[in-house]
Amino acid sequence: MAERETSRDIDQAASDWTARLDRGPLTPEGEDAFQAWLRGDPRRRGALLRARALSLMSESAQALGPGFDPVAFEAPLESRRSRFAGLSRRQALTWTGGAAAAVAVTALGVGLPAAGAVISTERGEIRLAPLKDGSTVLLNTETRIRVRYSQGERLVTLLEGEAYFSVARDEKRPFVVEVDGRRLSTAQAGFRVRKLDADPVDVLVNQGQVDVAASPTANGVALKANTQLALSGPAERPRPVGPEAVTRELAWRDGKLAFEGESLDQAAAAFARYSDTRIQIRDPALAREPVTGLFAANDPAGFSRAIARVFDAKVEQEGGDVVLTRGAPRGAGAH
Amino acid sequence: MSAADRERTRWFLRNILPHEPALRGWLSRAAPAGVDPDDVIQESYTILAELETVDAIRHPRAYLFQVARSVIMRHVRRARIVPIHTVDDLERLEQPETAASPEQYAIDRDELRQLARAIAAMPLKTREAFVLRRVRDMPQREIAARMRISENTVETHISRGILFLIDWFGRGGNRRPQTSRTLEAEIASIDGRARNQSRH
Repeated sequence: MAERETSRDIDQAASDWTARLDRGPLTPEGEDAFQAWLRGDPRRRGALLRARALSLMSESAQALGPGFDPVAFEAPLESRRSRFAGLSRRQALTWTGGAAAAVAVTALGVGLPAAGAVISTERGEIRLAPLKDGSTVLLNTETRIRVRYSQGERLVTLLEGEAYFSVARDEKRPFVVEVDGRRLSTAQAGFRVRKLDADPVDVLVNQGQVDVAASPTANGVALKANTQLALSGPAERPRPVGPEAVTRELAWRDGKLAFEGESLDQAAAAFARYSDTRIQIRDPALAREPVTGLFAANDPAGFSRAIARVFDAKVEQEGGDVVLTRGAPRGAGAH
Repeated sequence: MSAADRERTRWFLRNILPHEPALRGWLSRAAPAGVDPDDVIQESYTILAELETVDAIRHPRAYLFQVARSVIMRHVRRARIVPIHTVDDLERLEQPETAASPEQYAIDRDELRQLARAIAAMPLKTREAFVLRRVRDMPQREIAARMRISENTVETHISRGILFLIDWFGRGGNRRPQTSRTLEAEIASIDGRARNQSRH
């Protein structure tokens, strides 16, 4: 009897098939071989499901943007160990090839933003921009920032939109976000700044501490983790927020929108930031229904279908828009 | 991939895969001797892949643990000799820890960053091919031309990239130790072979 395949062998074969399918359609013989493989062991179909799921998940790497530079994400210690320490001659040979590849990969990106570089996103786009000090900025939909690093400070201006800053520690050179003439500075923090037309600028500190400088109309304040501040002038006060609320507020970083009790029309407005497809709610009572859940930001139609199931409503496509109605079939009430 | 397959894969990615580290942890503590947690995980996933519909599954984490438990039971029944202590272990299997655990959310929240880190940790050639395929959405054929390697070698790199992610995410960021360093040399030699063959 043949030796039983290990789960590792199966994972390898499942990865091979997934890569094969990623390359293009299978030939008829390939399809037969694929089906035969699937039937061979009760673990294979499951292993294939997992390999495909991870392949599917890795498609979201596109959100990293063409400027993605993997070098910025290497774990420093580990890369040093695997690259430079104790290389055998054979490994050293492959390393030479690897070095060339590393250069090629780095050159793929637009490179690190130069002084005064503007980085922006289109509607529906989320983009991660690595900065040269190891900090990163994740830009939400329709956002523009300008990066100007000097010897004294790491200055980023939020021109419009919403961004999450992960600041690498540097006590000597503060990281400063300038927004509407206000200065938010930190040595190390993770925080979100949002500047939308209608609302006052909103700051949410997830981790570390951010100092908000005084303005002619407001006092300076130090914001700790799990604190939110709307820059609204004399009346502005920091508010503590729970960890779950922070998670919800930052769900867009995964391309998601989280709601907990917001009205349906508020949720529809949130989706409008990410897509040209509008969600129209024709029924005022339906528009006030509270929405709870986690949804893909780029899928207003999917959201509408889910909502329709919950609230027993009807979804229709009208031109580029999605229309939600409830009660009697549309038209019947008008006659 | 058919639309239904893609839907199931997406469901699996969102609802099941985040629980794999917890499931593996539970299995390695609770599964009877001789039952390999990785075998049980794959077989459980097969059951999920073959379900007619997943619409009725309200609590995917609890469901997954239940499926894994049924797989173990099947293995134990199949075995000719059941060690006495297995029975005790099966008692323990009655209470898997199905409460939501922090990693369920951690993976969701930081998925993109995790993915960036995982890609960054891949062997360099594999990483280059994977970045071109997944970040730049370039077809495998074009990657082959750009990297001046055969299409088969590109396919191998993509396969290794996926295997790398299986290890990375299935073990909560800890990949199996041998994956990275030896692979580069291995694939380089595959490439050498492929090129020699194509010359004939």
